[in-house]
Amino acid sequence: MSGSSTTPPNGGVRLRALGLRTGWEGLGWRDPADLPADARAAAGGRGVLSLGVPAVADAGVRRATRECRWALAAVEAMLEDENTEREAIAGAGTALLYVTAASYGASNRAFIEGGGGTHFAYTAPAVVPAEVAIAYGIGGPTAIYIGGGPATLRAIWQAAALIGRGACERALVLTVETFEECADLYARARHLVAAPIVEAAGCLWLEPGGARVTLRTARDAGGRGRGGELAACGPLAELARRRRAGGPAGGLHARWQGEHAELLWTEKETR
Amino acid sequence: MSGAARTAIVTAGVVTPIGQDLDAFWSGLLTGADGISAIERFPVDDLRVGRGGEIKKLRRVADWGRVPDCRASRLLISAAEDLLAQLGERPLPAVPERVAVIVGTALGGVDEGERALAAGGRRRLRGGLYDTPGYNLARWLGARGPVLTVCTACAAGAGAMEVGAEMLRQGEVDLVVAGGYDPLCRFVMRGFNALRSLTRERVRPFDRRRSGLLLGEAAALVLMRRDGEVGHDRLGTLLGAASVTDGHHISAPHPEGAGLERALQAAMRQAGIAPGDVDFVSAHGTATALNDPIEVGVIKRVLGARAHAVPVNSIKGALGHTMGAAATLEAVMCLLASRHGQIPATRGLEEPDPACDLDHVPGEARRYRPRVSLSTSLGFGGCNAALVLEGAA
Repeated sequence: MSGSSTTPPNGGVRLRALGLRTGWEGLGWRDPADLPADARAAAGGRGVLSLGVPAVADAGVRRATRECRWALAAVEAMLEDENTEREAIAGAGTALLYVTAASYGASNRAFIEGGGGTHFAYTAPAVVPAEVAIAYGIGGPTAIYIGGGPATLRAIWQAAALIGRGACERALVLTVETFEECADLYARARHLVAAPIVEAAGCLWLEPGGARVTLRTARDAGGRGRGGELAACGPLAELARRRRAGGPAGGLHARWQGEHAELLWTEKETR
Repeated sequence: MSGAARTAIVTAGVVTPIGQDLDAFWSGLLTGADGISAIERFPVDDLRVGRGGEIKKLRRVADWGRVPDCRASRLLISAAEDLLAQLGERPLPAVPERVAVIVGTALGGVDEGERALAAGGRRRLRGGLYDTPGYNLARWLGARGPVLTVCTACAAGAGAMEVGAEMLRQGEVDLVVAGGYDPLCRFVMRGFNALRSLTRERVRPFDRRRSGLLLGEAAALVLMRRDGEVGHDRLGTLLGAASVTDGHHISAPHPEGAGLERALQAAMRQAGIAPGDVDFVSAHGTATALNDPIEVGVIKRVLGARAHAVPVNSIKGALGHTMGAAATLEAVMCLLASRHGQIPATRGLEEPDPACDLDHVPGEARRYRPRVSLSTSLGFGGCNAALVLEGAA
């Protein structure tokens, strides 16, 4: 692979927890670590696998968009994965990085087709991590990247860099992809995203540890992972699969808009 | 000052409502040019406010026929054309695979998305994705390294520079074109009209009569390299950068500016500077009732006793709020102030608000050569960003 490579300078990271919900749940694939290798066949001709609408107990977010609600659900899934209380991620020591390729689509379309003032605020992709920051009292470094899997790999790398230079104590990498509201648009743009496109929401919790991450980027190469087009959520699905198989070590690959990236996750040797 | 975070800003390119290259932008700021006018490019008759910083006739680059028919991409490519002209070299002096393009935006290609919904077409759907203008810019520049779109709302231009500096520091690439853009479009005008954030009067940052903001369109790009690889022939240096979330409200700033304060402190820590080193502050200064006194309070807390001795301006009275472009434009303004020994006045400020009692540079441009400047930005979603910049002069 041509391109460039970089490693965060100091220390290492540990994957503490990972929560991921995907549109495969509706077809019975409830385990994000076990998504179908032949997604097209498993989807049975469906173009979009929807997550539906999550139930929200918190009255404060009832007006929030579906993508915001799924962001909150992803964080809840992550906390359940670690069996940890929400207070563990509160405060200015927690960095929050958000990546999406498409989740503004639903809110933008709703506004274009007749929304009022409240809807407009929700057209900003920044509002999705904002709802998480508000709900969990997070006030640390932030980054919001628009793009597919390569942007998520960069966010994981950036999270490791923030941890490595002491800018935060822990970092959350949040990804949300909702497609259903714009399914007709994606259906006429199969060259961008091939079916099935799969809604998903995930959150990854990194903290100081013994693994090093190295990011390699290049253009015009690479292929598609398991589980269909998960866009920014794809790397989290692959991490879930790796973790089930014994650990995240190895290379995570992602592709979007002709850009290809690989994140090498290497556990430091212990003696 | 700590050298760890230093990144050279070699040159810049801009396209704005007051000038479509760096020199015109700067002279417009110094002479008090007014970039606000009645919007003509799309219908606004049904909106409460139909004025903004619209670029009436966007300068065309030489190979305009190859530029995608997309306002956001055209703004970016026009700014890139200016950047290359300022650099005096083309193509960019680096291996294409080692050139990154990092752009910040609040709106991405939403203008194209609106057209896709109205008219259909695969090409327009692709253009409507938030990250497509960044890829279009990379293609036009011949850059084949990483392409990234940062979307921390109206603080995104600062976030793009922050990420670009990090890529250079880690040796991932050799050259970064970073900055921000956003077009004026019906989508955003409808939105801010619905929020009733737009003023029917002048934009008056820090003025007691201030009644809201007006939007503008622009693109601003900087060319960044590792500090040690560039001599004195540069526009300036990025010393530190930080982006921090408020965790307070989806659209309103934290009432005490807690996130902005943390961002400023983190950026100054990274830069290795103390309050006594700061010569100038370019404020976000939107002229909304909420924003301006909050920013003033933060600047006072961060700079302490030095706050009243430091000029604090806002250029949004001249341009409108250029959203994703604003932070990069304001960073460029800081560096031009150092180069030319003048700081632009805060256009529209005539009767200072007692709650905004710093030196907000009313009246005319002032002869003053800042060495170290701070630039602050805020955006929807509790996004806060701060840059620490050092002029080359």
